[in-house]
Amino acid sequence: MALIVPLLLLVVWQSAVSMHLFSPLLLIPPLTLINTLLDLAKSGDLTTNIIASLSRVLIGFLIGASTGFLLGLFMGLSPFVDRFFGPVIKGFKQVPQFALMPLIILWFGVDELAKFVFIAIGAFFPMVFNTYQGVNDVPKKYCELARVFNYNGFHYLSKVILPSATPSIITGLRFSLGLSWMLVVGAEIFGADSGLGYMMASSRNMFQIDIVMAGLVVIGTIGFGINFVLQIIENRLLRWRFISDNGAKGNS
Amino acid sequence: MNINEKIKVKIVGIIFPLLLLILWQYVVSAGYVSHHILPLPGSIILKFVRLITHEKFLLHIAVSLRRVFYGFFIGTLSGFLFGLLIGLSRTSEKIFGPFFHTVRQVPLIGWIPLIVMWFGMNEFPRILIVAIGAFYPTTMNTFAGVRSVPTQYVELASVYGFNKIKLIRRIILPSALPSIVTGFTLSLGMSWVLLVAAELLIETNVGLGKLIDVGRETFNMELVTVGIITAGLLGFIMTKIVERLASGTQKGRVSDQKK
Repeated sequence: MALIVPLLLLVVWQSAVSMHLFSPLLLIPPLTLINTLLDLAKSGDLTTNIIASLSRVLIGFLIGASTGFLLGLFMGLSPFVDRFFGPVIKGFKQVPQFALMPLIILWFGVDELAKFVFIAIGAFFPMVFNTYQGVNDVPKKYCELARVFNYNGFHYLSKVILPSATPSIITGLRFSLGLSWMLVVGAEIFGADSGLGYMMASSRNMFQIDIVMAGLVVIGTIGFGINFVLQIIENRLLRWRFISDNGAKGNS
Repeated sequence: MNINEKIKVKIVGIIFPLLLLILWQYVVSAGYVSHHILPLPGSIILKFVRLITHEKFLLHIAVSLRRVFYGFFIGTLSGFLFGLLIGLSRTSEKIFGPFFHTVRQVPLIGWIPLIVMWFGMNEFPRILIVAIGAFYPTTMNTFAGVRSVPTQYVELASVYGFNKIKLIRRIILPSALPSIVTGFTLSLGMSWVLLVAAELLIETNVGLGKLIDVGRETFNMELVTVGIITAGLLGFIMTKIVERLASGTQKGRVSDQKK
């Protein structure tokens, strides 16, 4: 049943093309789209642009998410740090990311650095709030137990705080990476000389709708891939949780 | 927390912004950073006051708000209806669900080049992209809300012989309301982000996003910063309004629990 809509869409699409309802500039046959994808892949254009976009995302994401993680961690651990930085971070969060783009370009130019900063800022916020949430929600009894066992700072973090906060941190990672992926496409549409967003924007200017649509397919697939990988990581990291759940069931 | 402690929290919260302001004022007035790159806080406030009484500035804001309103309205309404449909009927979930989740993988900004090719550089694609942004969160939260209606309620309704419409109006919607309202708030946030993006990426003459970009083109840092602050403030105010409306819809619920 899941195939009904896609199939129906394909039929409508193909018949709209066959009946010349729309100009070929606006709608290409489904097969052409596949051919375009193959051509792009063969010529190496696609790979170059994918690598350009992915490396931007990776660098920006790593900078933004790690800063966000650390700050969120400290804010969760210390109420003072939370009160100190909290209001400013919450204030800045209100600004829609794209509003910052002109400012970032004025400050950092139009090269790679500006894109890294733009993506890093986007990746920062989901990470701060979710890490903070996770650390803040660690049950008090765990912390007390750790004190009873005389855990030192490192053990306390690695054995109590982080495992307990992991689900929330991973949610943060997912939002953060998803947002980064959207922002890189936006930044590349706005102005770049490589990347998938650039590929789509420049093809739009040249009225090559096949490449625009191929670009959509590719960025969607990569978006899906990112989610999929995070899902695997999440299952891995949280395996102990399910094991302990099962154990509890076995006992009862 | 007593009043004394509350004041203490407020004071700690003010230190960091204050330090930032002092540092900002210092690096600019001492000449480490040119005021063309970083305008003084005072001159930004002056600019803000001057602009806020300026007809053109208000026009930019009004146009942006209108775009957001239409896009948000179209997106949340269709998202609500679609979420209700796939929430109520498992068959329609099986038919539409997988397709919906596949299309959802495309980062929203990615639609812009295609939409522009199809509909041209006019008002419609800008509203459409805002609507798409509003559509997803409302759909997903409406769906989740409908699905988490306790089965006992539905069974009770069937005992009383409720028909389909009564079941939806009296049981399903009230029970799903909190989740739906959460969807609206998320949709609003997304709409606002996408509006600014659309105003930057789809050529236009008016709008807050355009205004900020004009500031960039003319190297008018005061205009850029005032634009950014305004965008943040408006987003904040709109979220507060929706949250206020949302807490209004929860009133019946709270009093029910108290009984």
